[in-house]
Amino acid sequence: MVLIQVIVGGLLLGAIYALFSSGLTLIWGMMNFINFAHGEFVMLGMYVALLVVVWLGGGPAAFGLAAAIALFALGVAVYALLIRHVVRGPMLAQILSSFGLALLLRYTAFWIFSANFVSLPQNSLAGTVAIGGIYLPVAQVVAGLVAVTLTIALHLLLTRSTLGSRLLAVAEDRTAAMLMGIRPDRMQALTWGLSAGAAGIAGALLATAYPWSPSVGETFGLLAFVTVALGGFGSVLGSLYAGLIIGLIEAISAYWLGAIYKDIVVYGLFVALLWLRPQGLMGKA
Amino acid sequence: MLLEARNVSKAFGDFRAVAGADLAVEAGEIVGLIGPNGAGKSTFFNCLAGDTLPTTGRILFDGADLTRAAPEAHARAGIGRTFQVPTTFDDMSVLANVMVGAFLRHPHRNDAREHARRIVELTGLRGDQPARSLGTPGRKRLEIARVLASGPRLLLLDESLAGLTPSELQEAIALVRRIHQMGITIVIVEHIMEVIMTLTKRVLVFNQGRVIASGTPEQVVRDDAVIEAYLGRGARRQRQ
Amino acid sequence: MKKLLAQPAGGQRVSVCLLAVALVLYPLVFSDAFYRDVGVTFLLAAISASAWNIVGGYAGQVSVGHSMFFGLGAYTPLLFYTLWGWPPLAGIPVGILLSVGLAVIIGLPTFRLSGHYFSMATIAVAELIRIFVGTWALVGGAIGLQGPAMARGWWDLTFRGDLPYYYIFLAVLALVLAVTFALERRRFGYYLRAIKSSERAARSLGVPVRRVKLQALALSAAFTSAAGSLYGVKTGFIDPDSGFGILVSVQMVIFAALGGAGTLFGPLLGALILVPLQTAANTWFGGGGSGLTFVLYGGIIVLIARFEPGGLFDLWRRLAPHLRRRAHAA
Repeated sequence: MVLIQVIVGGLLLGAIYALFSSGLTLIWGMMNFINFAHGEFVMLGMYVALLVVVWLGGGPAAFGLAAAIALFALGVAVYALLIRHVVRGPMLAQILSSFGLALLLRYTAFWIFSANFVSLPQNSLAGTVAIGGIYLPVAQVVAGLVAVTLTIALHLLLTRSTLGSRLLAVAEDRTAAMLMGIRPDRMQALTWGLSAGAAGIAGALLATAYPWSPSVGETFGLLAFVTVALGGFGSVLGSLYAGLIIGLIEAISAYWLGAIYKDIVVYGLFVALLWLRPQGLMGKA
Repeated sequence: MLLEARNVSKAFGDFRAVAGADLAVEAGEIVGLIGPNGAGKSTFFNCLAGDTLPTTGRILFDGADLTRAAPEAHARAGIGRTFQVPTTFDDMSVLANVMVGAFLRHPHRNDAREHARRIVELTGLRGDQPARSLGTPGRKRLEIARVLASGPRLLLLDESLAGLTPSELQEAIALVRRIHQMGITIVIVEHIMEVIMTLTKRVLVFNQGRVIASGTPEQVVRDDAVIEAYLGRGARRQRQ
Repeated sequence: MKKLLAQPAGGQRVSVCLLAVALVLYPLVFSDAFYRDVGVTFLLAAISASAWNIVGGYAGQVSVGHSMFFGLGAYTPLLFYTLWGWPPLAGIPVGILLSVGLAVIIGLPTFRLSGHYFSMATIAVAELIRIFVGTWALVGGAIGLQGPAMARGWWDLTFRGDLPYYYIFLAVLALVLAVTFALERRRFGYYLRAIKSSERAARSLGVPVRRVKLQALALSAAFTSAAGSLYGVKTGFIDPDSGFGILVSVQMVIFAALGGAGTLFGPLLGALILVPLQTAANTWFGGGGSGLTFVLYGGIIVLIARFEPGGLFDLWRRLAPHLRRRAHAA
């Protein structure tokens, strides 16, 4: 019974991993860029949720939306001010830019919020729910389900809508897209906004169910890498499957081996993937 | 037969960029390769140079099978190439760029530098200039100099003469002739008819991934299939 | 001064000689323990950053997990002492061998993919090792290891006072720079820079790209390991964070990038500027300052990436002709 609870809990958390990882994979697929600061976007989403609750007394819908909007704006700003200028330059500049941004965001958060772990005050998602003999916190269930929905929605947006096909056109061939009247710059800014927004919402969802500190950005960043590596760089659907798998593996490792070792398993999996199958489950190499 | 490509194909998913192309080049020839944009010429070149792995077919150079060999191995065997979009080492000087090529056959720095200096002079460049300060014509010339320094027996020129002023074009044509006279076999992809007519004795026409016509330049430009490829069905003949 | 600026090569040689003399004399002139400690810290930073520079600056393969080599180098001497009572000196070559082995293991799969894979792999492996070492009791777990409290001989490398360390470190720095300089002038150096500029073009000219990258990484790992060993024997203590932490990696990168990644003296310049600054910040702001330090680091890295990826040396190279012209005109 406990095992089932662990498994379901892992899958629910994995759904949230899927959500924020789909943002990372989007950027990779779109412009061959690895955003080392993506984990920090999630972390900031969590703090935005906290601030909305503490200052405005908002409920889950309010802080979820706030996190989405705030991070969307940040994503666009980061693209316009920084990424746009380095993406066609030397590799050193590209990697340093997002890596430096990660440090900047992470330690600014440490400075402002201190290293203490915090969690959201009680809200409408408190309490536990019993489903078929196992007990799960309401927040975890809601967060997980919302995450799956949003990830699928993102996938549909990309594959079924006009906007999505425009984004994919720019990813395929910038010049051709320009000739078709699409503005690559705008599309890429939008991609960054979507990516950061997804991370922000994921952060808000995580905040409802788990405590955190500014250090989680680094962990989530690496988790996002692992998920994207497994699911395939560029595939949102791949991120969904991979996120669930990673959440599952993480939960089972923690259960069987202990919390410390779960990190080793996950990162070890990442290294193994890079070695054996860098294109992941469903991605383009 | 120096270079032989047999039934080479390259597919990207469903899209066949090259669909069964053949090429046979004797040592000492200059062969032209023309065709509309998107016909697959550059992809074919990439296969010949080892940059892209052909899906099917074989590539033989001087008897050796290079089909699955890495680009480095192609270069060592004696195939050199330039790139459609000039890819010079912009952080280095002109001389340093050419030295990188020279190091292939001259591992010691002083030998490489001497050899590079001679090539730089031959191509009319200035050694101490930073590569990034050259315009596109200069960069194309640098690419030629650089690959020349690597001592190729076969040179694949990918639109290396595009975008030049009339006088620059004449200089470039003269340079290619000098290279040919040094005994280097050349396959040249070009859109500029003057280059094809004056330099090459044999021309292959590419369209939709395969060779649709071949012959002397004069024969090829009057070929109906070729005109149709460039100008579409029912187009009027172009006058030379 | 105007004459110096007017002759680039001559000016460079004079500056280097002056720098060398200054570095040799520094601890004799500034004999206070505090200043000597800053000097040792600076040298260590310069060695690490110069080591990183070989693969990150020259070859353009950006490792953000170089702490894995540093940590291996720091742990092995202290481990040999803790487990078997051996002199830490014996552990140094072993650390280097392990680091080179690790470099090859990481490089082999990732160097055939785009640069981002390599960078990601370096972060992940460094973190993996850090966490793993923290759980392994044999190597001290989360507590770490210590070196000899009292020196049993010179091979324990446990000296009182900083002076011996200073000159050992200085010698190692000179070695790293000499090796880098030698490679810069030879085929290997040209191939490194070609790879950084365009791997595709380099391949087309017969450059064995993957092999050269591996060699650069292995060499860089070896020197980084040596730097770690020096750190371990000097501090007499190592734990997972001080050995394998991400901040160790970040510092190497930022020192090299600020001064000029891919230049011989760039890392030295970066260390020369940032080590005193960091020391000053720690003195003024106390412990709390270290949080701000990394905000600053992050900001500096972003600015370098955005405006001057070539670092200060590149900036100087662009401005110097203008200054020289003014010197002539005056």
